Amino acid sequence: MVILNERDILADISTLDRAWVQPQTFVLLPDKCVLSQTQVQAALAELPAELQTRHFLLLTSGSTGNPKLIVASRERAESLVQVLHQLQDSDCVKQTVLALPLTYCYAFINQWLWSRFHQRRLEMDADLSRPDRFKEALRRADHAMLCLVGVQVPLIERYLEQEIFPGVIRVHFAGGRFPQEKLNDIQRIFPRAQIFNNYGCAEAMPRLTLRRAEDSQHPGNIGKPLPGILLDLNSSGELVFKSPYGAVGYIDAEGFHRITPADWVATGDLAERREDGSWQILGRANEVFKRYGEKIALPILMQTVAACWNGVAGFYRETDANGENGHVLMLAPEPLPEQVRSILRAFRVHHPRAHWPLRIESVPALPLLPNGKIDRLALPQLRHKTIHWHQRV
Amino acid sequence: MTNYEKLKNLLVDVFLLEPSEFRPDLTRNEIDSWDSLGVVSMAVGIEETFGHHLTPEEATGVKSVQDIMNILRARGVVFDD
Repeated sequence: MVILNERDILADISTLDRAWVQPQTFVLLPDKCVLSQTQVQAALAELPAELQTRHFLLLTSGSTGNPKLIVASRERAESLVQVLHQLQDSDCVKQTVLALPLTYCYAFINQWLWSRFHQRRLEMDADLSRPDRFKEALRRADHAMLCLVGVQVPLIERYLEQEIFPGVIRVHFAGGRFPQEKLNDIQRIFPRAQIFNNYGCAEAMPRLTLRRAEDSQHPGNIGKPLPGILLDLNSSGELVFKSPYGAVGYIDAEGFHRITPADWVATGDLAERREDGSWQILGRANEVFKRYGEKIALPILMQTVAACWNGVAGFYRETDANGENGHVLMLAPEPLPEQVRSILRAFRVHHPRAHWPLRIESVPALPLLPNGKIDRLALPQLRHKTIHWHQRV
Repeated sequence: MTNYEKLKNLLVDVFLLEPSEFRPDLTRNEIDSWDSLGVVSMAVGIEETFGHHLTPEEATGVKSVQDIMNILRARGVVFDD
């Protein structure tokens, strides 16, 4: 078994190219890995013999607090890359600019594997942690594809200011809520780009659906499933899938779990099917809960916040003084008093009081996971936060 | 800050009112956010701000800003300062 580290890959991408063509299964780990080398080796020892060649493993996910090594087939991944290439009309795309870690399956498949399979250039010398270099890469971009997560949009607006980048012709979003309310801003920055909302999860390795941004006004709309993929709801209303491109198994603290073609795999998202055949995400199963008998859906509340707040925002769960479930809104950077009032006004207009946050807090910057998503588990413990408003219940 | 201003700030904050909406004769029926949870929030806020506890009967019986002022006046809070 070959263990590759993100740091080594970034120093020499040919290491990954070689690993892809060699028979031995390899695992690609992030720079800051939550598992020790010993834990990884112990996990890999669980892998059945037939999966020790022609497969690869990626680590997911800090957001649930339960890291898993996802076992994926190289053949399936290459099939998916061909399907995506066609559906995303990517033939005219000459290069892709990396703005996410390569260990994130979305960037790994959509960008690294796509560029390798279709012989396109992978621009990996810039990312959002080095905004000047990122901006330079976008200025140089020529028929380029960019893959982002929604939480990066405020950063991009701040770093790129009023500049526009006509060399970017595809902008993809995945890894959470689609930033629908920012669509005009994104189109202004990338005036020649087609914009897509991708949906999936690590077990799907990684895509399940695709929609062009203009095909819906709702950020939760994820479009229709890719060819060959089946979507359904389980008895809890959670979206489940069967995919010919999906992972073949995963390794967690309890050992190896095989995913067979007969298995419906849970996404962790609540969803509903629309009349036009598209699907709409209602929120993470753990982001929908009851408060004083009212059904609270944090993604819907986030739409309210996003409509009047240009910074970054996240919710974390907390119980109130009566022991009822509740939620706290965390903003970054610190809002002006009028901005807080604007958010509160929107809550009053659009939602009954049970839906209002217990508090509105802020910190200079929200903690992010390596894949760019907000580290929600870290939000309650943040120090140096400012409380702007509280409900007194 | 006068007691009237303290009460205004509190109720603006609890019921998410626009400051311009606030007036002494404002009634519960005019405020969509004056619901049962809001009553709890208001009672806690009054105790924090004025140091006077409202009984559940008093809190739920309040029908207007004037009612709150009357309850607090009866406990020695002066509003015409």
